[in-house]
Amino acid sequence: MSPPDLKTRGRWPPPVGPRVAIVGSRRPSPYGEAVAEQLGLELARAGVIVISGLAMGIDAAAHRGALNGGGVTVAVMGTGIDVIYPAAHAVLADAILAGGGALVSQFPDGTAPRRHNFPARNYTMAALADLVVVVEAAEGSGALITAEAALDLHKEVMAVPGSIFSPLSIGTHALLRDGAGLVQNARDVLAALNLGAEVLDDPLATPTHLGFKLPGERDGIVAHLSDVLALNAADIARKLQLPIAEVLGRLTALELDGAVRRHQGGYVRALRRGKERA
Amino acid sequence: MLGSVDSCVLIGLEARPVHVEADIGRGQVAFILVGLAATTVKEARERVRSAIKNSGLEFPSRRLTVNLAPAEMRKEGTGLDLPMAVAIALARAGKPPPPRSAFLGELALDGSVRHVDGVLVAARGLMLLGYERVFVPAVDAAEATLVDRLEVIPCVSLSAVVNHLLGAEAIPPAASGRPDNVVASSSSEHDLADVHGQEEAKRALEVAAAGGHHLLLSGPPGAGKTMLARCMPGILPPLELAEALDVAQVRSLLGELPREGPLDWSRPFRSPHHGVSMAGLIGGGSGLALPGEISRAHNGVLFLDELAEFQTPVLQALRQPLEAGRVSITRSGGSVTYPARFTMVAATNPCPCGWSGDAVRACRCTVAAVDTYQRRLSGPLLDRIDLQVAVRRVELEKLGGEAHAEGSASVRKRVVAARGRQHERQGCLNAQLKPARLRQVAGLAPASRRALERWGVQRGMTARGFHRAWRVALTSADLDGSEQIEEHHVLEALGFRLQDVAA
Repeated sequence: MSPPDLKTRGRWPPPVGPRVAIVGSRRPSPYGEAVAEQLGLELARAGVIVISGLAMGIDAAAHRGALNGGGVTVAVMGTGIDVIYPAAHAVLADAILAGGGALVSQFPDGTAPRRHNFPARNYTMAALADLVVVVEAAEGSGALITAEAALDLHKEVMAVPGSIFSPLSIGTHALLRDGAGLVQNARDVLAALNLGAEVLDDPLATPTHLGFKLPGERDGIVAHLSDVLALNAADIARKLQLPIAEVLGRLTALELDGAVRRHQGGYVRALRRGKERA
Repeated sequence: MLGSVDSCVLIGLEARPVHVEADIGRGQVAFILVGLAATTVKEARERVRSAIKNSGLEFPSRRLTVNLAPAEMRKEGTGLDLPMAVAIALARAGKPPPPRSAFLGELALDGSVRHVDGVLVAARGLMLLGYERVFVPAVDAAEATLVDRLEVIPCVSLSAVVNHLLGAEAIPPAASGRPDNVVASSSSEHDLADVHGQEEAKRALEVAAAGGHHLLLSGPPGAGKTMLARCMPGILPPLELAEALDVAQVRSLLGELPREGPLDWSRPFRSPHHGVSMAGLIGGGSGLALPGEISRAHNGVLFLDELAEFQTPVLQALRQPLEAGRVSITRSGGSVTYPARFTMVAATNPCPCGWSGDAVRACRCTVAAVDTYQRRLSGPLLDRIDLQVAVRRVELEKLGGEAHAEGSASVRKRVVAARGRQHERQGCLNAQLKPARLRQVAGLAPASRRALERWGVQRGMTARGFHRAWRVALTSADLDGSEQIEEHHVLEALGFRLQDVAA
């Protein structure tokens, strides 16, 4: 099946090069968001064209990462080419165009966001990409439709593992169980594209480069936090046998320093990219 | 032949004196009532005529004129029945009115005196106007006896009142119902010891109770938000006498005071349903507005469950009373002001389906739906809520274990101590401190100020938010018994500002 007629803005077709779609939840955990951004950045640096859907969450993080890496990124929209959805991403769309990328849509001008249009868009995204990476996807997530479409089109599907406690990893773990490639860093993706020289070391060996550094352990509380699942102050206080008032204060101090973040009513460890700390 | 007595009508919580005059003169037989009487008062003519006849008294078969002064004020309510009948009786007997006395009561056709609403409010107002004695329905006498320096004559029937006034048989005044000391027996049926886990929310409740701060609990269904809110009255100190009287006044106006023991020391707890109308929540009605839920919650707790489901205009209308501690409502009959100094405890789900952020169940809402839902709460209303805390579901296996949670009684001890410090220092609760006064009584140490300012810059906190965090930090210090607002007090206060996190 050939992709439908596309309306485009910006540079189309994009420069020659491998194309990777990075897709996932619109409401990712801080972990997933950090992973998407980091993958987008490193793949863009390696000359990959990063494709995503301009949605909130993983999509936006992937686009952002690619732009930060100075690369070209393409947004496959589920609305008319003249309708930016969500509206808050108008700035991001402009940045994509300014970075030499493109916006593409298979829908007539003026098409508003409609639930039933997005699966078709996901299919198009899979068709445009050589490989699809799913970062975080709950059960029934639209990202899984993209993955299925990619399989139908005989494209490679890869997935990023997460915590077994996180509902956002149910979809990705199911993909991994069914044979999707494991993504621990950008090199795994490049290897699957037959790029990169020293790739594919022993897959069972401890990865030498995780891509992230943990924040410094200035406060013992941080060690008890996860980067995926939010813990609330009461849980932490119980674990550490500390009064709740003190734990709340210390968490806020860490928040002010950027070492922890609020997420869904609790606290998670903030992930910082390694080079920012170097 | 002229007779007159004093009475009053109520404009909200204010008593306006009414002078009731009766004149029996020559002319065609008639009963003329003048003085801007509303329908309820006009109907009094028939009740008064029958009551006088059935009390064994003679109704004058001459031209009878009753005037209600001041004539330009509209008079409503049935409390003027008794004063009219007494004025007529005094006119017939040619007696002067009893000195510094006022009358209030509705008449039955057989001459007995019936209940009227707002006797406590009227008695308090009359005392302030300089009256020394009130004649009120016997069933309502307990309310009036709560007022100091006022002799209360309980009236069972019109004939008894007339006999008393003509010196035939005196009615003994009711004994003062004013208690000498507060009996602190405010036991709440909900105890914090019964709430498992949720230490963060419990701490927020404690801070809210200590400083009079408003609180928002946000969490999935079944997390225990309602249970937590219902614990609030139990950790508040019992009402002081003046507070209890304020609470009783509002109830009196609504006719809700129990006959026996009208004074209640426990803090009001009101939880209106989210379908409540503007008039129901804020106050309203035709003519003169009656107090709404926020005034019934005065000196107590107003619990708004499912905050996002309330109608937007109703929530908007909450803003003024949240800030001012009272509410002014204007209706066709005039403008009235009711007290509304309550501690608001609100609860909300994080999203329409309620499961956003839950560890096990996945949220099924679209991003746009969550956005719309949260936007309904955002902005000015949230900015007025000092404490916001996320409540999470306690796992079932944990429900069985740890039974040694702290009980309400010991939390209340800390709350009472913290409140005592505040009253000693500034004469009001921290939540009611104006910014200028806050700067005066609660200076910030450099480190504390730095933390507040850093947060303000990072999160784009408003000036109002800045002061609110400052007040909460002061309450945290008061709970600690600390003279200084230390940095960790500020940090704790900032931890309760969920609204700044979205940035």
